[in-house]
Amino acid sequence: MRFLIALLMAASAGATPDAQALLRQSDAVRNGWPSFVVRVKITNFEAGKSDEEDLFEVYQKGTERTYVEFLSPRDKGRHLLMLGDDMWIYLPDTSRPIRITPLERLSGNASNGDVARTNYAIDYDAVYLRTETEGGAECHVLELTARRKGATYRRILYWLRATDARPVKAEFFLASGKHTKSATFDEYQQVGGRMLLRRLTIYDQIRKNSHSVMEYSGFAPRSLPDRIFHQGRSDRF
Amino acid sequence: MLLALALLLMADEPAPPEPQSETRFALSVTDEGAWAAALRVPGPEAGNLLLIQPSFSWRNGQRWRFAASLAGVGETHGEASAQLRVKETYLGFTTGDLDFSAGKRILRWGTGYAFTATGVLDPPRNATDPTDRLNLNEGREMATAEWIQGRHALTAAWASAGLVQEHRAGMRETVAFRYNTLLAGFDTSLIVAHDRGRTTFTGANFTRVFGEAVEVHGEFAHRDTSAVLLGGKYTMRSGFGAIFEFYAPGAGRRYAFLRAAKSRLRELPGWKEWDVAAALVANLGDRSRILVLDVTRRMGNHLSFYAHAQAPSGRKWRSEYGMIPYAALVSAGFRVQL
Repeated sequence: MRFLIALLMAASAGATPDAQALLRQSDAVRNGWPSFVVRVKITNFEAGKSDEEDLFEVYQKGTERTYVEFLSPRDKGRHLLMLGDDMWIYLPDTSRPIRITPLERLSGNASNGDVARTNYAIDYDAVYLRTETEGGAECHVLELTARRKGATYRRILYWLRATDARPVKAEFFLASGKHTKSATFDEYQQVGGRMLLRRLTIYDQIRKNSHSVMEYSGFAPRSLPDRIFHQGRSDRF
Repeated sequence: MLLALALLLMADEPAPPEPQSETRFALSVTDEGAWAAALRVPGPEAGNLLLIQPSFSWRNGQRWRFAASLAGVGETHGEASAQLRVKETYLGFTTGDLDFSAGKRILRWGTGYAFTATGVLDPPRNATDPTDRLNLNEGREMATAEWIQGRHALTAAWASAGLVQEHRAGMRETVAFRYNTLLAGFDTSLIVAHDRGRTTFTGANFTRVFGEAVEVHGEFAHRDTSAVLLGGKYTMRSGFGAIFEFYAPGAGRRYAFLRAAKSRLRELPGWKEWDVAAALVANLGDRSRILVLDVTRRMGNHLSFYAHAQAPSGRKWRSEYGMIPYAALVSAGFRVQL
């Protein structure tokens, strides 16, 4: 509410919106609580036909610590840990983490980064570009530039609904400048009094007939102990 | 307005409560046929391996944990045999910042990919199969206590020489301590261990990522002699990755390992289901080497087919990989995962 008032005051004063504040507000749709758990299902489509399915349980604490458990049959027992820019993958039946490079988060239409890095205000610097109509709603368009190596993309164009900073659309760019993916934020859900993302579609801009649908369910606040985010911990479940 | 507000309130789902306990179950069935070419010792040239591997984990809140992982192994290699192996079965308990566990479990403290100098409790590392592709590694019977506070983790472990399989050959009772921390991007461990009847082991290892594409790791250890491992990984944006390791375990022995792999061969239908890898392990002392190739094709979420081949070379019977009694070994199989 305070944000809306600030936004209205800024608008009435003729000032451009505070892009970083808008970005922080928009992050709340995927990060409902300071410490929470959510289940993410990703279905990949080729030429309109489903061809791959992945299921993850994501535990997040603060903006820097994410722990992802892979639940799909072929990946069961795998875990991914992200601590700021540092990432490890744990393979089944081994408690030893394998250090992975930031580039290894990028495979597939929806990458590890799309699942585990959802605090854009931490990873990107935002600049307000313009206001335009998108999907029937008036939107602020922000340009996000990566401020750290752990950021999944180098640049993002981000459309946020002017009334509540809810994400509507995004375009993702690589360091080469190539437009690699687009996303539409399709459905939202009210959980525990908070408006949270339910469905996101990511379109491959290089192979035009390929897209992935990310479905979020089971959003819930959790008291997550610090030790589950320690890279050296032997127990993973 | 009021109606809209009422609808909004009705649509508000409560967040699901924290479950009292959670379980995970997985089952993998693998069938693999293997053929040896130019076998130099008497024996069957072909064999079959059937693996049934269930695993189960249970967690009660953040306090109690239980995990079990078994392998039923049916082998036909001239004669047929069957056995049940317990890979892991342990109970864990957490209080405050302390985790305790007791039972048979797999711990890996080494940071090397194909070799390790500091993995005092690790299952034996096989450079020709560093990922344990058939998941047949077994843990050791042990009791552990782990204290985690902030960036620091301190682990104490006592491992038996084999309670169930009475005193496995070469295995000794081990007491080991590890301190692990993440400092300036370095994931670093210091390890001290003592095997009954041997001199005390000291070691350290690290991993560090530089930029977006480079990972570097190393291990240093000393017991009766010093051992050094240095390695790195380079990842390309295309998903191609290469791993290199140099390992000097002491007594003048030196090894090199090189692996190039590409998972999801191309991001295209019919291609992205393929993973390919090629690795070369070389004993730099006697110049023997072994080439390993792996190809996997996923078919949906539950089924995959794979082929594995290895071709050793070196002076026959007078070098490490020249001792392997075949010119090539090819295995092919399928795996069903539930």
